[in-house]
Amino acid sequence: MARGYLLLRRGGGLWGIANTAVDGLARQGADYRITIGGSGGGDLVADEILGVVEELRVWPLAPVVRRFWPQPAAGLAVHGREPVVMVDPGRLPAALSVEGSGEGDRPDERRENHE
Amino acid sequence: MNVASEAGNSNGKGRLEGTHLLVRAGEYACALPLASVRRVVRALTVHPLPGASAELEGLAEFGGEPMPVLNLGRLVHAPAGPNPTYPVTVVVWVGPVEAREMLGLACDAALEVVHVPGGSVVAGDGGFLLGEAPVAGEVVRVLNLEALGRTG
Repeated sequence: MARGYLLLRRGGGLWGIANTAVDGLARQGADYRITIGGSGGGDLVADEILGVVEELRVWPLAPVVRRFWPQPAAGLAVHGREPVVMVDPGRLPAALSVEGSGEGDRPDERRENHE
Repeated sequence: MNVASEAGNSNGKGRLEGTHLLVRAGEYACALPLASVRRVVRALTVHPLPGASAELEGLAEFGGEPMPVLNLGRLVHAPAGPNPTYPVTVVVWVGPVEAREMLGLACDAALEVVHVPGGSVVAGDGGFLLGEAPVAGEVVRVLNLEALGRTG
């Protein structure tokens, strides 16, 4: 696949993964299944595929985030005005896994009270 | 509200220089070191992180950067106030100066800039909760934001 990042939505949150790590993408019922290659390969599940962006500025995961969210991630980014969690292809997050993707999803808890 | 610039103007004759921003978090008042406060804004849109602990509300975008937002009331174990909607986000720097990180603290209200003498702070844990101090007749929790960003 070409360079860039695949953006997907799961549980209300936005996730990104390097395009080079993606081996395949298929529709499966209401969801999408993304096949990740390499040594840590596996399948990810997404509610929505937003598309591919060529460039993303990726910030490392701050210690304060790791302290309160001990999940694997390659960093954080922003797309539009929305934060993006960057997936580490070698350590796939439980929130996107086929088995554990329902855990902790809180899409209805998003607060938008700054109008 | 740009707190840093307002604090600079508050150093008038006969007034003690402000050292902390007083904020309301549930039933507690907390004092944040003014040098660590970047801005006070209306609550930012927060995107929850699945599996995060209760203190971490989620991620927001601020100034084009991703920023974690913590619930200050939960951080200090404050009983929820009468209207726990956390309508204010205080954007602060945490961690040591050479590796500081931007962080949002969801609060009930930003109250005022106050002077907290170092000698008046007692009974802290030496970490994030530096101690407690009397301010205008109320005991406030004085916080050490540098400790919040430390690893381990």
